[in-house]
Amino acid sequence: MATPSREVTSIAGGSARRALERRDLLTRWALILPAGLVLVGLMLLPMLLMALMSWLEPGSFGGVRWGHYTPEAYIKFLFDRNLDDSLSLNTDYLSIFSRSFGLAFITMLITLLIGFPVSLYIALQTPRRRQWLIFLVTIPFWTNLLVRTYAWILLLRNGGLIESGLKQMGLLQGSLDLLYTPIAVQIGLVYAFLPFMVLPIYTSLEKLDWRLLEAAFDLYANRWKALWRVVLPLAAPGVIAGCILVFVPALGTYYIPELLGGAKSLMIGNLIQQQFGASRDWPFGAALSFALLALVLLFMLIYALRFRGKGSLL
Amino acid sequence: MVYGEGSERVRALDRISLEIGHNEFFTLLGPSGCGKTTLLRLIAGFEQPTEGSIRLYGQPLEGLPPYRRPVNTVFQSYALFPHLSVAQNIAFGLEMLGKPRAEIAQVVREMLGLVKLVGYENRRPAQLSGGQQQRVALARALANRPKVLLLDESLSALDLKLRKEMQLELKRLHAETGITFVFVTHDQEEALTMSDRIAVMQEGRIAQVGTPTEIYDAPNSRYVADFIGETNFLKARARGGVLLLPDGSSLPTPVHTPDGEVTLAIRPERARLSADGSGISARVKDVVYKGTDTIYLLELPGQEPFQVRSQNRLGALQLVRPGDPVGLELPPEAVRVLKE
Ligand SMILES: Nc1ncnc2c1ncn2[C@@H]1O[C@H](COP(=O)(O)OP(=O)(O)OP(=O)(O)O)[C@@H](O)[C@H]1O
Ligand SMILES: [Mg+2]
Repeated sequence: MATPSREVTSIAGGSARRALERRDLLTRWALILPAGLVLVGLMLLPMLLMALMSWLEPGSFGGVRWGHYTPEAYIKFLFDRNLDDSLSLNTDYLSIFSRSFGLAFITMLITLLIGFPVSLYIALQTPRRRQWLIFLVTIPFWTNLLVRTYAWILLLRNGGLIESGLKQMGLLQGSLDLLYTPIAVQIGLVYAFLPFMVLPIYTSLEKLDWRLLEAAFDLYANRWKALWRVVLPLAAPGVIAGCILVFVPALGTYYIPELLGGAKSLMIGNLIQQQFGASRDWPFGAALSFALLALVLLFMLIYALRFRGKGSLL
Repeated sequence: MVYGEGSERVRALDRISLEIGHNEFFTLLGPSGCGKTTLLRLIAGFEQPTEGSIRLYGQPLEGLPPYRRPVNTVFQSYALFPHLSVAQNIAFGLEMLGKPRAEIAQVVREMLGLVKLVGYENRRPAQLSGGQQQRVALARALANRPKVLLLDESLSALDLKLRKEMQLELKRLHAETGITFVFVTHDQEEALTMSDRIAVMQEGRIAQVGTPTEIYDAPNSRYVADFIGETNFLKARARGGVLLLPDGSSLPTPVHTPDGEVTLAIRPERARLSADGSGISARVKDVVYKGTDTIYLLELPGQEPFQVRSQNRLGALQLVRPGDPVGLELPPEAVRVLKE
């Protein structure tokens, strides 16, 4: 953007040049402004507000007591305060965190294992069939996820479709007892996030030059080796995008465990929601959100460091 | 070989029957779209013939996937792996074959030297010029020492000097390695200089197979004569062992020709202007001086324009100007009779 004006300045004199530069600067700021406003107004300010809240005392009926600063929310995350004011380690919240990470990670793995072959299959179809199949992948987005999660209750519950189906095939005696378990939550998560894995991987596979695959075959690579050595590395940006798009939101999901899980399959999202709802401990909710954010950033950092220098990824 | 189905059917190759010898430099020559790439793809195993079969040293190739065929291709589009460096590209085939590391490193070094890309081993294909990419593709295929090397217009992106160099390199490699080369080109000069034998293709069929001399000296159709080098065509009628031209002059037939309408093909450098005006009478339309040669464009009554190319040897310069009447001499061995 700056180059054209610089060409002019070599001819224009001092004051004209300053005027031009000022105009250039103004245009630039005007162009950045909308994006900047969105970022500051909808991202940065709420985050700062949350950060501030996490260091305040909770109000008795929700909200916070402004001006009363305390690190209590962060202490509460790791410790219980006994009656005599001493602290003892409390791993309840940590275990909810680790369970959430576990569920999100497994969700990522399963969606990857299903999503990659599916994307590959779609990408190998004729252009018309590809459009159709991608359309089918996006159909679930037309209905609210909440409604679709309720549908899973009908499928998973005792006496539900899956149980009676298994019974009729003679594969099951007694009851299924699947609903309100971590497995039900896991199923729900995989179901909800699968399209977020398929779409980015498909996008990168669709752009792939299939002649490279022929070259790999020509150079003695069988199907598996060609997949590992050529297709996968070239689809890596899509795979990484898919993993992030699944892992991060899965970590924070709230109503899938709420509806499909029991007390023992609570996730971070539920915990945070409880603090702003029934528990009326906004600072703790804010602190939990920040702990989550910090952990996600840490993971991304580890990832970025690990793949630094490999350049082409991400 | 048929591509597609129903209304989209394309018969890309039709009734091809070829036998290519061990360590032969065999060239497929033909205009764009005549099926050269398709034939290579059949040999490499990317397409299955809808009819017929292909055998390699007696072994039928049907059902063998490309990765089980001891055949490597230098692709028309290079198809270099963009995520791998030059050295990794060249090493790919050997790695897939499970060769030891030391051997791979050795071969890669050799190949880099061969295609003059030493110092480029860590570059990505995107950081190379078109000609450099082509050389990597060549090195990548050659590194495996296949039984048959398929080259699809593999020199077309190189500039003239590099192209001549690579032509010599290819010939040298061909002699040294004992690999059979199947070379595709639409450059007739390249085909003539490089090949042991040439197959001239026309719309999915083979028009003629033969050594460069056979193809050049004895084309079997107007198509081949026209495609390879420059050729003059004359309409004539064969009767009782002589060829009668429309202007009344006659020529002896070089080979036995049954009576009927024929086309005569004569290379420009094999025809002569007669010193005394004898022979077929013609009129000079233009004289083009070309340094080593002079080209005389002649008009013959009832015929297509006729070219005579004569070498500018000392003392051989003929003083002929546009508009002059001249005699055209056609030595019997210069005349090729085509049945058309
Ligand atoms: N995948 C395909 N599907 C349908 N038709 C095809 C396909 N590939 C090639 N053809 C057709 O087959 C014919 C031969 O194509 P081919 O690529 O073999 O030509 P070529 O001789 O290599 O030409 P060029 O010199 O331009 O590379 C062409 O008419 C082409 O349109
Ligand atoms: Mg081709």
